[in-house]
Amino acid sequence: MKLTYPHMGNLYIVVRALLTSLGLDLVLPPPTSRRTAELGVRYSPEFACFPFKLNLGNYLEAEELGADTILMAGGVGPCRFGYYAQVQREILRDLGVDMEMVVLEPPDVGYRELTDKVRYLVGDCSWWRVVKSIRFAWQKALALDNVERELLYLRPRVLEPNSLEKRYRTAVEEIDAAPDSRAISRAVQEFFKTSRRMPQRQGRFLRVGLVGEIFTVLEPFANYDLERRLGRLGVQVERSIWLSAWINDHLFGGLLRVKGGLKHADRLASPYLNSFVGGHGRETVGGAVACALQDCDGVIQVAPLTCMPEIVAHSVLPSVSRDYGIPTLTLYLDEQSGEAGIQTRLEAFVDLMAARRRKGKGGMLDGSFSGY
Amino acid sequence: MKKVGIPRALLYYYFYPLWREFFTGLGVQVVVSPETNKRIMDAGVKVTLSEVCLPVKIFFGHVIALADDVDYLFVPRIIKVEPRAYICPKFMGLPDMLRARIPDLPHLLETAVDMRKEETDPFRCWENCFQEVGRLITRDKRLVEEATRRAFRAQQNFQRQLAAGLLLPQALEEGNTGEVEVAVVSEQSALRIGLLGHPYNLYDRYISMNLIGKLQDLGVSPVTPESLSVQDIENKVGSLPKRLFWTLGKRMVGAALNFFADTRLDGLIYLSSFGCGPESLVEELVARWAKQQGGLPLMLLTIDEHTGEAGMNTRLEAFTEMIKRRRIK
Amino acid sequence: MDLFLGIDVGSVSTNLVLIDDRGDLYLNPLYLRTQGQPVAAIKKGLRMLQEILAPQDRICGVGTTGSARSLAGVLVGADIVKNEITAHAVSALREVPDVRTILEIGGQDSKIIILRDGVVVDFAMNTVCAAGTGSFLDQQAFRLNLSIEEFGRIALEADNPVRIAGRCTVFAESDMIHKQQMGHSLPNIVAGLCEALVRNYLNNVGKGKEIHSPVVFQGGVAASAGIRVAFQKALNMDILVPKHFNVMGAYGAALLSRDWITERGAETRFRGFEVVSCDFRPRSFICKGCPNACEVVEIRQDGAVLARWGDRCGRWGVADEKVEDAALSCSHPLR
Repeated sequence: MKLTYPHMGNLYIVVRALLTSLGLDLVLPPPTSRRTAELGVRYSPEFACFPFKLNLGNYLEAEELGADTILMAGGVGPCRFGYYAQVQREILRDLGVDMEMVVLEPPDVGYRELTDKVRYLVGDCSWWRVVKSIRFAWQKALALDNVERELLYLRPRVLEPNSLEKRYRTAVEEIDAAPDSRAISRAVQEFFKTSRRMPQRQGRFLRVGLVGEIFTVLEPFANYDLERRLGRLGVQVERSIWLSAWINDHLFGGLLRVKGGLKHADRLASPYLNSFVGGHGRETVGGAVACALQDCDGVIQVAPLTCMPEIVAHSVLPSVSRDYGIPTLTLYLDEQSGEAGIQTRLEAFVDLMAARRRKGKGGMLDGSFSGY
Repeated sequence: MKKVGIPRALLYYYFYPLWREFFTGLGVQVVVSPETNKRIMDAGVKVTLSEVCLPVKIFFGHVIALADDVDYLFVPRIIKVEPRAYICPKFMGLPDMLRARIPDLPHLLETAVDMRKEETDPFRCWENCFQEVGRLITRDKRLVEEATRRAFRAQQNFQRQLAAGLLLPQALEEGNTGEVEVAVVSEQSALRIGLLGHPYNLYDRYISMNLIGKLQDLGVSPVTPESLSVQDIENKVGSLPKRLFWTLGKRMVGAALNFFADTRLDGLIYLSSFGCGPESLVEELVARWAKQQGGLPLMLLTIDEHTGEAGMNTRLEAFTEMIKRRRIK
Repeated sequence: MDLFLGIDVGSVSTNLVLIDDRGDLYLNPLYLRTQGQPVAAIKKGLRMLQEILAPQDRICGVGTTGSARSLAGVLVGADIVKNEITAHAVSALREVPDVRTILEIGGQDSKIIILRDGVVVDFAMNTVCAAGTGSFLDQQAFRLNLSIEEFGRIALEADNPVRIAGRCTVFAESDMIHKQQMGHSLPNIVAGLCEALVRNYLNNVGKGKEIHSPVVFQGGVAASAGIRVAFQKALNMDILVPKHFNVMGAYGAALLSRDWITERGAETRFRGFEVVSCDFRPRSFICKGCPNACEVVEIRQDGAVLARWGDRCGRWGVADEKVEDAALSCSHPLR
């Protein structure tokens, strides 16, 4: 069996750590690219969400490299993600692509099914080894989040963002290659040490909260390198969702207490959105409130075009914006978004935040504008 | 007498008899917004984000149409009306979206309707909802219980009429005694076309541009998903590799699978709203299965507030024409 | 000579085609710009035909198609009024009897028609926008200051077409400007635009359709060499362009009228060339009968109502209901 799975930012490193230490043979798709998108778009329903299309592109590119089995997460709605695999399977079948799909459903469908599937994948590994592998992967997830937090903080500050990013990529590669937890922390420490020594600007920097649908937040290809663009515009990005939190919420059923977990966001959202609405809709609203409470200068919401939970969140964000006097920008993204348009909107939004800062947040500007 | 407003949109098309009888039983006057028209649509489009689908925009228009002359608006937060299946995130956030987008609303009766996982009684979620809504309106617990029972009877009667072949708009009409007149199919209307689509699209004559009427004018007798019993639907969707977690999606897939097996049908038309999330996947599955079955021609019609009637007419004409010509061959 | 006339009135062009009773083209087809005035275009076309027809030529049947087919049908007295899908399929089958896919791209709409064994089995028309249609090309060519013909030719010189993003014309345009500013060559930009149109067409109209050869490409856009090449590249198939690719709708309407008349042995309802000297006044008004506020289209011939349509309720028959009582007349003539 040659196993593959779709990309979402740095997730591949965490999953690779887990699966290789369980002795599985992996064939990873190349990083998501234009070509991935074109392949995915060609065979996907026109109004399926962007992550669906990119996933499909990932499978097809992995198949070219010899993968024969796809590992995919499931779900129980109402967000479409839970049914991706079912539709993707039909598409692959109609294309005559011979790939097996193993879909890991959340335990609500039944623990039995989950354990059976894990057994199918890992054969006769001992459960003890499985637990150890999970812990090892978890350490990598935390490490990746740590270096990325540092990157977001330093990006607007350092004089040479290019070399900071190069160091960051090195750190990520080292974490990916780390054979044990000692090597993981060494890679993190090394990045902290060298990056903090880089020449930096002084002063106060604009801070913008990034909220929205998880895949679009975590996958630079899907958000058109939004964080990188904002950093270059002198803005520090405060992310609302982190990889480790997502893994905890989705794979461990929220058992661990992780920084940036979702329960807190739900409480903050309740005056504006008093129900779970699937996906990350409620977290988006709660995250926006949290950003306002932490005195961010603005909030940017990113979502795939037609994303249902985010449309609900977007509908109520103007109320958050009004109550807290914080401007918001919503970007719906898909394969048709033009880079120039995104860059223009980000620059305009940064100018707007800077102008408000100079005015001491006085005059209330129109709190929300959206662009695609 | 207090007045409660019920928007003639979204799940009105499934649950109106239930809601009407409940409030009437409480001694509250029920006010339904008029049939969708241009004014209602424009009002809804104006206050909603452009990304929201047309049926939800129209719902907002109906709320605006009612807002000034009722004391309450009944807009339950619909999470699940059956175990383990949602309608859609927009239904779950509807009251919040209304509040954020329309100022000065009357009192919203927005109790959640949420069927628990292990529940078998299809009315239980409504019972819980009605208890809470009843408390807001009257102290008389007995009255609430009686109104609830009365509502369930009306809803069961409505569902019986649908199963007997009455088209939904006729079954919704008040005072319908249950005498079912199934329209006699004349020799001319030899074409039978199965319709797929959410009820608030199929039966809203404005949104659907009177699709059903147009088909009848073209000599087609339409067969709707509502003519299938819950059991028909469940039997078919039970064979799916994974349970569908959207109530309406389940209905569509179940109806499609029933239609595939119905040899008396000549074609299928699937009406959906532009930007409908679940439909983007469900429609794809139905279209692919239709192809794999290799039999029934299927036409997808997507509508939004910009859809032109001319394009719709052309498509319907071309589709019926195509089916006729195929038959001759 | 017994002739049959097909008229296709679309948003961009109005075409007239004459055929003989064998179904072969007689004289050259007329390709006129509609310019928002369908009535004027139809009259102009009829006048031109009148001038070139011999005294012994007789019009024995008329078919109309296109978005203004009802208007055209009322005006000339058509025997058959058919939708564009059927009309295009009929003419393509005549040119390529074993055709299995028809790509049709006109000025503001586009279609795909799938046939098996000479029968239409599936079709689709563009839904949300015009990014896969001719108006997209027109606009971009205009912006680049090229004629449509030059545009199609220049695309062939590309060595590395640029990827141009944008679901809609406006965004594609801003992306194109961005790519120009980055310094890409004109041929690569033009070829990129052709590929964007083809991609949008295949991802929107052609989505989920089983495209098998023979593939026939018709409609005004088939004139563009750049688009033909982009289709060949995207589909990896040969693309056939019929000789009269830009009047295939009208050709189909003519063939349909011939079949209709000969099958029934009927007399044509053609009102004759006199109609060119009649005074037709189309106008539209907003009906105030109910909140639907339908825009009703009315056509009057020499003052009398000839036809009305566009009302959802059907109250506006030819019956002489006074519009002024119930509705607000529009001052602008029908566009």
